[in-house]
Amino acid sequence: MTTQLPLCDVAVIGAGPAGLTAACELAESGRDVVVLDEQGAPGGQIYKGVEKVFADRPQDIRPLGREYAEGKTLTRRFRQSGARYQPGVSVWQITSDQEPDLALGLIENGSARMLHPKHVILATGAMERPTPFEGWTLPGVMTVGAAQTLLKSSRLLPEDDVVLAGTGPLLYLYVMQLKKFGIRPQAILDTGPPLSLRTSLLGLRALITCPQAMFQGMRWLWGAGVKTNMTRGVDSLKAQGGDHLSSVSYEARGRRHELSTSLLLVHDGVIPNTWLSMSAGIKHHFNETQNCWVPEIQGAGLTSRDCISIVGDAAGIGGAEVAMLQGERVAREVDAYLEDHQHPQTSIESGVLRRQRWMRSFIDEAFPSTAQFQSPENDIVVCRCEEVTAGEIRQVTERGCMGPNQGKAFTRCGMGPCMGRKCGLTVSRLMAQVRGVSVQEVGHYRIRSPIRPITVGQLADMESILKGDNQSVLSANSS
Amino acid sequence: MFRLRTNLTDPVTFSFEGRRLTASRGDTLAAALLASGVFIFRNSPVSSAPRAPFCMIGNCYECFVQVEAMGVVQACLTEVTEGMQITKVSNQIDELGMDIKEVSKE
Repeated sequence: MTTQLPLCDVAVIGAGPAGLTAACELAESGRDVVVLDEQGAPGGQIYKGVEKVFADRPQDIRPLGREYAEGKTLTRRFRQSGARYQPGVSVWQITSDQEPDLALGLIENGSARMLHPKHVILATGAMERPTPFEGWTLPGVMTVGAAQTLLKSSRLLPEDDVVLAGTGPLLYLYVMQLKKFGIRPQAILDTGPPLSLRTSLLGLRALITCPQAMFQGMRWLWGAGVKTNMTRGVDSLKAQGGDHLSSVSYEARGRRHELSTSLLLVHDGVIPNTWLSMSAGIKHHFNETQNCWVPEIQGAGLTSRDCISIVGDAAGIGGAEVAMLQGERVAREVDAYLEDHQHPQTSIESGVLRRQRWMRSFIDEAFPSTAQFQSPENDIVVCRCEEVTAGEIRQVTERGCMGPNQGKAFTRCGMGPCMGRKCGLTVSRLMAQVRGVSVQEVGHYRIRSPIRPITVGQLADMESILKGDNQSVLSANSS
Repeated sequence: MFRLRTNLTDPVTFSFEGRRLTASRGDTLAAALLASGVFIFRNSPVSSAPRAPFCMIGNCYECFVQVEAMGVVQACLTEVTEGMQITKVSNQIDELGMDIKEVSKE
């Protein structure tokens, strides 16, 4: 399954619901598909470790929930689909449209190599929105998604003193899972707004069109709220401690409160992971409703580059169910495109997909991103890598810095190892606020390859391979 | 932070900063360290402030550690193996006793 042939019809990057579905569809219809996955097993973040949980910890399936268990059906189908699966592989480059050939730069087992697919499907999923606030760099402060990853992959459970803060469906799902594992968090600090009339109306429409998903969501919310210390309307969240988190403080109803804890989990919704699509030179725009950058998509998953499609949350947040439906559509579109290189007539969205979009518009409205994290105070670190504060960003913008790329030169903001993944959204937003223009106008960091760390030695070793006889070296590689 | 796990099935032994620790086979380095009560993974090369995993999906780079024979890796994307020797990444600038922010201003 891990042959090293450098050619294939389609390379799918990411093995979550979108990538796996697209890969299955294409492989089952006879295409040579390679799935590149940074993780060690298929499932993506949502179905992380699902095969291992079924094999080694079947007692954990129930508390993790039905939605998680459904991932096993998909991974089983994938294992039988005939697609080649390459776990533990990072993609550090997609060749630009100036290059003669489409190629992917990969790092696998510490060495770099190239893969030459005819078409690339990006299924890089979502990541959590940055949450800059005082103390968020302290050990003991993590994202809710991080804690959930530890639960799924390694059954790590937080101590009872855990505090959760922020907003979004994932937070409530995780709290409900914790309760089924017998853990009642010390406190849940909800930073979301109260339900407005508009939100209620959108909720009603979603309830009629997607009753199952709405009831599931209400079960999470209700399950999370029962017998827990939940505070709504939380503002001015702070994490305090020396070498490690020791307490959390916040304001609610005009009063300041403090809680002792060793673990604070924060969440403020998810955004598409666009680092690879941006590095490939694909056009993106800023979506104000979802408060994130999204690639421009034509048809089911076509982008401004003919040979690259995007599917799932990486194309815009829609959740696992939408990702799988889109996976099927994008696979059909890519299959047709490989046949004659004409842009195919795109299949019309199914009714299910349209109803799912109504559901999403309710979620976007009900869980808007938190104001405190969108407009951090001047002394708050926004760039964790280079420790640049919101005040420094405001200052250089006031002095005439037009956008995040110029800002790098003045502040080093976004130039650390994370390449702006944890500050990009914040910096563009702050500059837009100071300049009084839209985030779209300010723009985003220019993302260039390598988008994953690669050493000079790894690059040099690859060069020597390319200089030799391609085929013989590659066959030596696969032996 | 996290509850320590007991009765590991199929344990592997590894070390962090010379301390012998055990993990469950298949754990990522980050999970293995957090489950062993390791809170501080590295120090910021800018201010030397302590840091630990934040996102666990390979995006924040806070979990950088040094692994013998592998070099600097993201602990959340690397599987722990028997006998692995892990240390904190050295910030050479610290050893020179310089403040990187001051140096870069000069």
